[in-house]
Amino acid sequence: MERTAGDDRPPSDRDLMVRLAAGDREALPPLMERHYRRLYRIALAYLRNPDDALDAVQETFVKAFQNAVRWDGASEVGPWLSRIAVNHAIDRYRREKRRRRTLTPFDDEARELPATDQPSPERTALGREVGVKIAAALRALPEKQRAVFVLRHYEEHTLEEIAGVLGLSLGTVKSSLHRAIRRLRERLAGLSA
Amino acid sequence: MMFEHLRSRRRLPLLAAGVLDGPARGATLAHVASCSSCGKELDELKAVLRLVASDPRPAEPPIPLSQLVTRVGARLDELDRGPVTVRPRPWVVASWAGAAAVVAAVVFLLLPGRPQGGNERPLVSEDTLQRLERNVAREQAARYLGEAQDVLVSVAAAPPPCDREKVDLGEASERSRKLLTRGALLVDPEGPAVASARPLLNDVEQALREVAALESCVRARDVQRVREDLARRQLLMKIRLMKRELEG
Repeated sequence: MERTAGDDRPPSDRDLMVRLAAGDREALPPLMERHYRRLYRIALAYLRNPDDALDAVQETFVKAFQNAVRWDGASEVGPWLSRIAVNHAIDRYRREKRRRRTLTPFDDEARELPATDQPSPERTALGREVGVKIAAALRALPEKQRAVFVLRHYEEHTLEEIAGVLGLSLGTVKSSLHRAIRRLRERLAGLSA
Repeated sequence: MMFEHLRSRRRLPLLAAGVLDGPARGATLAHVASCSSCGKELDELKAVLRLVASDPRPAEPPIPLSQLVTRVGARLDELDRGPVTVRPRPWVVASWAGAAAVVAAVVFLLLPGRPQGGNERPLVSEDTLQRLERNVAREQAARYLGEAQDVLVSVAAAPPPCDREKVDLGEASERSRKLLTRGALLVDPEGPAVASARPLLNDVEQALREVAALESCVRARDVQRVREDLARRQLLMKIRLMKRELEG
């Protein structure tokens, strides 16, 4: 039997989601291959810790498999996965924040940073102090503002895409981004001169 | 003129982030060209965004895709083997068990059909009831202290700024107010079960009142005063120790 040209096309995200919804685990690797780097970047920008970010990506795909039947079929798969990743990152961050507060209530911000914020070659080049202050400034943003800023700044999503990923109105996304940038300016003003 | 200035100023962060478009963008750019203070602020906002952009971009995931696929598969296998049992914290279990026992005992004692024979010993002795009530009271006090600890730690840590020389304490002050209301219902500091915690409960209440009285955007030095007071009285450490004692 002759193969048509269409047979060689890789399955679309939607095809893979349909297979996941039917319980086909083999559909996971191709879906992961397309999205895991992007989801990792989002999670890392939010959590600032490679191990935590990797866990977030892992759990995102676990949840995607478990909840594939609930995917409505009309929405894009990428933003749907981003939403799971962001929500997981927020949950994880909250837990970590509570834990750190309990263990080190009087620590200053720099000491609150996870071990992975130790100088990497890139961080050394940038200057550790600046890198640490940027991380602290991002960490000090309220959750919603931080998520909006991360998606805009690191992933260059449009405001409409961010609204879709986070389930917020366009106006809320705009005001959150506005506030996030102002807060970052207050925190980092002296460094950016 | 002033209205246009304020409106443009509000739009500057979005302009700096490159997400302002349409007529708003044109109007704001036109204003910035003729307003030196807005121009300066726009430059500062852009400089901050450049600075954040200079922070090393997140790199590749630390493990290859194949390993991640294996990890996801293993996690799904683990979940397939059965639901993960979430173990509630011991004090929650003890608290609910104690409360359930007290309710069951009271219902039993008040039950109209219960034999009224004078010589029969009650199923739950007075001592047991008192011990259960005492446990519940101590669990509730420990829980109250735990929540107070969360609030006070958020004050002791560095709250984010909200204005020049001011910090955002909105969440902490709101939580303090709610906690004070709930604490009054849940904890009886005069009760014998929490006698040893009485001085600390009073100190905690006072600290929460101080936080609750602060505005949401408050001068940093006011927060610093509260922080120094917490440190001077070693309140957070005392809360941790007392919580442990109350939880047994």
